[in-house]
Amino acid sequence: MIMSNRLPESSSEVVDRSKPIRFDWNGKKMKGFEGDTIASAILANGDHILSRSLKYHRPRGVLTHDFWDPNLMVQVGDEPNVRAGHRRLEAGMKISAQNVWPSLKFDAKAANGIAGRFLTAGFYYKTFMKPARLWPVYEKVLARFAPGGEVDLNTPHGYHDKRYAHPDVVVAGAGPAGLAAAIAAAQCGASVLLVEHEYEVGGHLLWGTDDDRAAAATLLAQAAAAGVEILTNSTVTGRYEDNWLGIAQRSHPIAVERLIKARAKVLVVAAGLIERPYVFQGNDLPGVMTSGAVSRLINMYGVKPGKCAVVLAANESGDQAVEDLKRADVEVARVVDARGSTTVNCAKGSRTRIKSVEVSDGSSIDCDLLVTAVGWTAPTSLLNMSGDRPVYDAAAARFFPNSPPDNVLATGGITGDGSRDELIAHGRATGELAAGRANAARHRIQAATASAAAVAGDEPEYPSDNRAPLTRADHPELHRSSTHGLVDYSEDISSKDLFGAAAEGFDSVELLKRFTTATMGPSQGKLETVNTVAILAEARAETIEQVGTTVWRPPYAPISLGALGGRVFEPVRVSSIHPWHEANGYTPILAGQWVRPEHYGDPHAEVRNTRTNVGITDVTPLGKLDLQGPDVPKLLSQLYTNKWMKLPVGGVRYGIMCAEDGVVLDDGVTARLGEDHYLMTTTSSGAGGVWNWVENWLQTEHPEWQVHVTPLTTGLTSINIAGPNSRKLLSRLVDCIDLGPGAFEYMQVRTGTIAEVDNCIVWRIGFTGELSYEIHVPSGHGLHVWNALLEQGEDLGVAPFGLEAQRIMRLEKGHFIVGQDTDGLSKAPTTGMISLLKLDKDDWAGKTEVAWALEDDYPVIVAVQPTDPKIVPEEACQILRDGTREIVGRITSSRHSPTLERSVCLAQVSREFAVAGTTLTVLLANGERINARVMEHHAHFDPEGERLRG
Amino acid sequence: MLVSWNTMPTSIPKENGSVADIQFESPVIIVDPAAACGSVTLTDESSMTKASVRAADDTAAASALGLAFGSAEHRGDVFVARIRPDEWMVFGAADMVVAMIAELDLGGYASTVDITHSRLMFRVTGGEAAKAMEKVCSLDFSDHMAPNGSCAGASVAKVGCDVIRDDIVGADGATIRSYRILCDRSFGQYLFDALVDAKAEFG
Repeated sequence: MIMSNRLPESSSEVVDRSKPIRFDWNGKKMKGFEGDTIASAILANGDHILSRSLKYHRPRGVLTHDFWDPNLMVQVGDEPNVRAGHRRLEAGMKISAQNVWPSLKFDAKAANGIAGRFLTAGFYYKTFMKPARLWPVYEKVLARFAPGGEVDLNTPHGYHDKRYAHPDVVVAGAGPAGLAAAIAAAQCGASVLLVEHEYEVGGHLLWGTDDDRAAAATLLAQAAAAGVEILTNSTVTGRYEDNWLGIAQRSHPIAVERLIKARAKVLVVAAGLIERPYVFQGNDLPGVMTSGAVSRLINMYGVKPGKCAVVLAANESGDQAVEDLKRADVEVARVVDARGSTTVNCAKGSRTRIKSVEVSDGSSIDCDLLVTAVGWTAPTSLLNMSGDRPVYDAAAARFFPNSPPDNVLATGGITGDGSRDELIAHGRATGELAAGRANAARHRIQAATASAAAVAGDEPEYPSDNRAPLTRADHPELHRSSTHGLVDYSEDISSKDLFGAAAEGFDSVELLKRFTTATMGPSQGKLETVNTVAILAEARAETIEQVGTTVWRPPYAPISLGALGGRVFEPVRVSSIHPWHEANGYTPILAGQWVRPEHYGDPHAEVRNTRTNVGITDVTPLGKLDLQGPDVPKLLSQLYTNKWMKLPVGGVRYGIMCAEDGVVLDDGVTARLGEDHYLMTTTSSGAGGVWNWVENWLQTEHPEWQVHVTPLTTGLTSINIAGPNSRKLLSRLVDCIDLGPGAFEYMQVRTGTIAEVDNCIVWRIGFTGELSYEIHVPSGHGLHVWNALLEQGEDLGVAPFGLEAQRIMRLEKGHFIVGQDTDGLSKAPTTGMISLLKLDKDDWAGKTEVAWALEDDYPVIVAVQPTDPKIVPEEACQILRDGTREIVGRITSSRHSPTLERSVCLAQVSREFAVAGTTLTVLLANGERINARVMEHHAHFDPEGERLRG
Repeated sequence: MLVSWNTMPTSIPKENGSVADIQFESPVIIVDPAAACGSVTLTDESSMTKASVRAADDTAAASALGLAFGSAEHRGDVFVARIRPDEWMVFGAADMVVAMIAELDLGGYASTVDITHSRLMFRVTGGEAAKAMEKVCSLDFSDHMAPNGSCAGASVAKVGCDVIRDDIVGADGATIRSYRILCDRSFGQYLFDALVDAKAEFG
């Protein structure tokens, strides 16, 4: 484990040589240091090929050595697509190359390269279109060539966190300008969140001179002293309306990743510049690197990138690389100064490394390293997302911001060039401006927010932008040499592909992008966009300004699905009796957000016991709305189809509620508890919707009505006591309520004490068809009352029953359920309750539509009994016109009735089939047709209601 | 016989926060005491008596209760929060809340409901309580946007809640940041677990 390419220790490096780390690369044991990137550690150990390309499986080495390097995607353990130019080395890492077979060194898939001339852009679109029936075959073959690492489906889900933040200023990028902006803003009193993509702040100062690094350290100390919250290894992934920002924090101490949703008053974009590769034949050979990659490897990681270099330099970054290479004892065979007229024509090499460079002056130089410094891409993504459309400056050979909104400011290299001090000065001015604007915005927001602290004085003046702009240094336009090379390394798209696509007619930049997939790989266009546009301009014989560019959209950098998923918030609700259900062998069923007992082992036994003795069931999810005020009767009359103005105190009435289109919205009973006091119940699933519906009528349609609505669904634990012994059981527990048949009749309500709990409500109603009482108990004592019922009713045969038994009993009784036996098209007449549709009432929601429906044909809910009593048709089975395939209805509910020992059903059928005695044809799920008869009543059981009125 | 309970429809505890000798059942079934403690603590105050008063601007009740919308304060032994423009919540010991409600003139467009059993109340307390809350709630918890004595409706871990800042004074006399959270009782276990998870990183 000799680190053959490790340079002698220097003061500039970020690796800690006192902390060696052992790791595994493609089965080889290697050693690195804390602070190494995965790639720098592998290079230090002498390997320089880290991946194979997507399509042709050409060997690839370091290109940019940063987050964006398309050649440095590796598999680490069970994690695919790790960016080896960015991710820090950790002890014990098992690192391997992705998408190679059998090995990185001998990749059989490199045979694609032989057929390369046939695999041009658009190959898939053209080749795998026909015949369509073969697509499944194509898909299987293509899947074998899919890029990326391997996902282990057994990998445990890591802890992904989420957080909201409301900083005054968010600064994206912690280079010298970003740091200075953050410091200045914080010193002006703003709360500042500084987000840096890399592991350390400082930007290009980190691989610069000793003075640069000292300046970075000073800025960091100043930022900390000013109270700036600094997030390293984090990315502002997107900017949305009104500075709503997504920030992926990869550096959280306990979470794999954290997604921060920040609402910033001002966003400062200080994203710096990204070095652009150069397009020429052989530009993807291992050993071709950008100048930044070389300087980072040497200065930050102490790694020697080659032995003999040619440097193509068009700017100071290239000059610095030359100096760095010399200091690292790398022979610089030739500096090709692109500020003159010379450039590199092409690179030649073996299958694994560059061997020589041909220069435009005709010379050929042997080397194992070609360093390019040909220009910059301004990563204007966040500005694009803010609505800005950056403009290209040919003299500076890059894009610049145009006119971002007032609450988005740009600073640093993205806006211009300058010395370190000039960048810092521009950053400071930007920070002060950001703080001023944030202060004005904060004043405005605070004054407009009821719960905020009071603000003094007038809103501060919104500061205008008086910053002295950074200059723009001239830079030669260098995009492509005289030869063709790769433009998009991620997708193996060459300049030749782009010319070909343009010739085929895909000559708008948006079409070209989608047809060739250039700029659509993991680098997200950071390295490729400008070259793509420049080459299209060349193909069209136009300028870059004329061609235009694509629009960068979120995310700025790829973000994991785990981060987007974040912590899982899936609220569930339980009643106060839930602990008893859990302790007594219930089978849970999720009904909306509610966890309810479906049964306790045998729902049929639960039905039989209820019909014979007495059963109790937890119906807490039943929606309950407390209504108070003199205008409640008007509200009820508006909401329900029937009349409510004369409901007496102590009375209960059933009602059907329609939407404006006459479709059944909900149903339930409402009791009048006092002169101006009512309690409305809704279906369990409709509780929230009905509350909204009620508030809509009160707040927007009739604000003059005086009604206060308070949801009490969970404040009252609801228990249904049903069965012949229900009165006897309840009488053992109540005070102040006479349960006698004459004193407390069906469809009446009383309040009183149950099991010593005051202020309980007792309704005499029943969904099961039995003599039954529905009691509503203050939930803090719900479990107490439930236990008291079980204790007091032991000799009466009391037993709990679950949702399934309740559904069976209601079906035996023929009670329909809104949403089960009705659907989104079922208007009120479909329920068959024509007597409740009071067209002589002034107005009610859905009245006009219901009146029209009554004049028209509409489906009707009927009770249905299969001729063979043992057959239970599946719910949703079609009902057909006899001898045809014409659908005339469907089964909406069906169960085997343990009471009647036969199947019982409800169905919706066309009116002509809704006549009692009609024989229906039911198409079962298995294709069999059976006969069923329409019953006279909805109720299969006790149609006269003797039991429930008893 | 029908019992009139126009003023307080559901159960008002008779003495010491309990109805007779029947214990108020917490909406949180399973609690790991260690997880709920630490530098940020999570406590269940659901058994505290809570009343909702709805009153139009021109009523005597609204005048008596006062407060600007979005603010809250201690008044003797009770705590009053104007959580919505026409709704106040009153918390405290049962007899104190009952007394305060009894004194209110509920004439005009005004009403009251006991929400002791329908709204749970948790308290998140500690120097980093705001940071814990930021993990589950999108409100701005800074001092200028949510000072002590402020209240607002918000989604907390995807549950509709009322959040009230009610700082407490520690044993050493220092003020400690604290939030009361109220929501439908049925979410109790879920919300408690979500808050325990949110505060875990702060100890």
